[in-house]
Amino acid sequence: MRGRGAHRAAATAVVVGSLILLTLLALPIVALLLRGGAAGLAQLGADRELRGALALTAQTATLATLITVALGTPLAWLLARERMPGGAVVGALLDLPLLIPHPVAGMALLLAFGRASPAGAALAQVGLAIVGSRTGIVLAMLFVAAPLYVSAAREAIARVDERYESVARTLGDSPTRAAWRVTRPLAGRGLLAAAVVMWARAVSEFGAIVILTYNPKVASVLSYDRFTGEGLDAALPVAAVLVILAVVPLLVLRSLRGTAALGEPAR
Amino acid sequence: MRPLGFAILVSWLSVARPCAATPAPRADTVVVFTAASLALPFRVALDSFARRTGTVVHQENGASLELARRITDLHRVPDVIALADQEVFPQLLVPRATAWYVRFARNRMVVAYTARSTAATRMTAADWHHTLLRSDVRVGRSDPKLAPVGYRTLLLYRLAEAHYRQPGLAARLERRTPPSLLRANASELVALLQAGELDYIVDYESLARANRLRFVRLPSEIDLGDPALASWYARASVRVVRRTDATTYSGAPIVYAASVPRGAPHPAAGARFLAYLLSPAGQAVLRAQAVDALAIPRFVGDSVPAALHPSKR
Amino acid sequence: MIEVASLAAHAGAFRLHDVSFTLPRGAWGIVLGSAGAGKTTLLETIAGVRRAAAGRVSLRGADVTHVAPEARGVGIVYQQAFLFPHLSVERNVRYGAADPAHALDIARRLGAGHLLARGVRDLSGGERQMVALARALAPRPDILLLDEPFAAVDPRGRTRLRRELRALQRELSLTVLHVTHDFGEAGTLGDLAILLDGGRLVQAAAPAALFHRPASAAAAEFLGAENVYAGTATPLEPGSDDEAGTMLFRAGSLALVGLGESAAVSHAVIRGEDVTLARERRGLSSARNVLDGVVVEVVTHGALARVTLDVGEVPLVATVTAGSVSELGLLPGSRAVATIKATAVHLC
Repeated sequence: MRGRGAHRAAATAVVVGSLILLTLLALPIVALLLRGGAAGLAQLGADRELRGALALTAQTATLATLITVALGTPLAWLLARERMPGGAVVGALLDLPLLIPHPVAGMALLLAFGRASPAGAALAQVGLAIVGSRTGIVLAMLFVAAPLYVSAAREAIARVDERYESVARTLGDSPTRAAWRVTRPLAGRGLLAAAVVMWARAVSEFGAIVILTYNPKVASVLSYDRFTGEGLDAALPVAAVLVILAVVPLLVLRSLRGTAALGEPAR
Repeated sequence: MRPLGFAILVSWLSVARPCAATPAPRADTVVVFTAASLALPFRVALDSFARRTGTVVHQENGASLELARRITDLHRVPDVIALADQEVFPQLLVPRATAWYVRFARNRMVVAYTARSTAATRMTAADWHHTLLRSDVRVGRSDPKLAPVGYRTLLLYRLAEAHYRQPGLAARLERRTPPSLLRANASELVALLQAGELDYIVDYESLARANRLRFVRLPSEIDLGDPALASWYARASVRVVRRTDATTYSGAPIVYAASVPRGAPHPAAGARFLAYLLSPAGQAVLRAQAVDALAIPRFVGDSVPAALHPSKR
Repeated sequence: MIEVASLAAHAGAFRLHDVSFTLPRGAWGIVLGSAGAGKTTLLETIAGVRRAAAGRVSLRGADVTHVAPEARGVGIVYQQAFLFPHLSVERNVRYGAADPAHALDIARRLGAGHLLARGVRDLSGGERQMVALARALAPRPDILLLDEPFAAVDPRGRTRLRRELRALQRELSLTVLHVTHDFGEAGTLGDLAILLDGGRLVQAAAPAALFHRPASAAAAEFLGAENVYAGTATPLEPGSDDEAGTMLFRAGSLALVGLGESAAVSHAVIRGEDVTLARERRGLSSARNVLDGVVVEVVTHGALARVTLDVGEVPLVATVTAGSVSELGLLPGSRAVATIKATAVHLC
């Protein structure tokens, strides 16, 4: 009897705790949508600035994510398979950008890649600048969000037993080929989830972006702008529309389960 | 007589506290919203005030318009609000958020730069506009839709056009800053200048001094710094079009204003801080931070707290 | 053939240390040892998926210590099979094969032909191992490494797989290195037995030699010798060039005559089945060791019985038939005489 009572208490605690957290997360979003959702959607037709900001946000976030997936997945593999000397240090360093307050991150980027820096001068040679440009937006998004991707991708790859790759190698695959033919499909779902997290983080970034690029405006900067210039009621529709439009690709991606392309291993 | 009155008031306040009939059970708190260009001077003033009175001080900085919106839209009310443009008060805050405000300091526009700026050697008070028009320099200014310093820059350009008798000068100067080099407020411009992303910015003298930037003094006819030239400034106007409304700003001397808004959580503490700020001691602190405090602060509106205004206007 | 010289490697907590042996071409080598002895590490180092920390690996006479696994021409089958879950059985089998027809042929010969179209998720243990074997053999390697491949298979499937594999091995002239912790498996399959303990090579010899002449007490215990005594020995009759000589072994009051090679003897090993029991002494016999004792315990397993005697200070275990136990009337407390030939007392 005591055992059952304790079990019921634990189950209740789990349910209540979950409900509290879910409410905390859902309530502000619901409030936002209620207050600004309708207005925002209605505005989309006529408000060219809003459409432009949303498009810019989507494009830059997607570009930042693609770059990170291309460069970060091999890095995540090296870290997961512990092939990197000093890998523990590298892993810890990778988490640093997550700790830096966002405006500070923007300033750090300015110092490292601004016009007055060696890297910035090199960029200028190829016609790239980070201030007031899409390049700056992508760079800021990458800085704050790439660590999230690499961490999550590393976990996803580590969960795929290394011996699958070993077997593939004895069957004639080079390390890259083995990772591509075996580990990638098996880790695919985890990698996709990691990319979704990165994209969402990039879309929501404000502090680091606004230091580098105020114009052209991404959606977060536009909503701040409208709040400052016109008031809360002008800012909310922007935010609400961003949430609504972002939910669609997120849902689509999250629902991609167990397709043949991803080859989810048996549980 | 006013300064004497304030001196007596302040000394009375500082002596009276330890003899208060009912000693405060814990330290007072005061929350201050400060315009970006006043951030540093007010921090020093607040620290000094805190040392004198033991009040716990909280300061929040932001663009003047954003701070006003916090009160009107977000209903977050401070004990003192200090803005870079007195115009924001009648525009947004009076009478709903506050019934009065006090003009306490003035400022002027300058062109600031650093030793690294392109053509820095060519920048002179007489010739500044030609240097800014060079195609190899990057000129930054603030967004007129968001910050007073933004539309003041445009007014400066228009006054310069009249002053130098060069039709079209204002438009050409305005075009020299593409959208990518616009920023939301005065302090962000300073940051970019210091980082080497900009060669020249049009900004407040107080910021240029406080950040030890090089700057040129512009003719008083155009720099919006002399109250005596108010009517001359008023000849220039700029229409700022936002999405849903448009405002026309006329040139006026740059005056900083402050108030204790309605619904402040600690109005008495707010009034005390403001009184300190307006006192010679407070003014000395401000001047040490390159803020040109008005010798005689001027109140606008009614229901000014007794602590600040012993005799009725 | 596989030749390993002073090989050392680490895999987390598992280590290999100074391991050397040679497995001739076409031979079937068995790697024995308890868990953690380094058997899997040895296989992985030979396959090249683990880097050797020291020493040399040679395959087919060539030094491959620094050669990548994909170039070594070695097939490996793990205990857990590691079939690629995202591929069908057929695609698994054909994964590394240049000749798909050959790959499918191997699969059919191993009895996996009817599984080709299926996914790998709901295969039984035996089916998984069949597929894994087919996959490893499809690229035509001449060296095959097996890591306890039959451990997860039911006994009937095990027998069948062993038979198929032996046939294939002979047909394809494969050199096989097979890890197991089941010594019985070693006896039926192996040409060479390699015993590892704590990452070190204890002994490498034909299974029968390992069995009857373990090189150390540890080896003896692993191989299930029932009687291992610690003591010292002095020579009696010297041996000839390739035979051991007889020695007198003492452990306390116990004295045994046995075969041993060097003076550095520290243990005597007697297998239970080499001990003959009788109720009383009978005249002269060629056996050099006759011990009187009292029965302490009798444990019967089916047709065999394990009888423990007290022969002075130490116990002696004899393995006899259950029938003998009842015929002789061996019960705890009854007297018995144990007879052991000197050739059955191995000194090491």
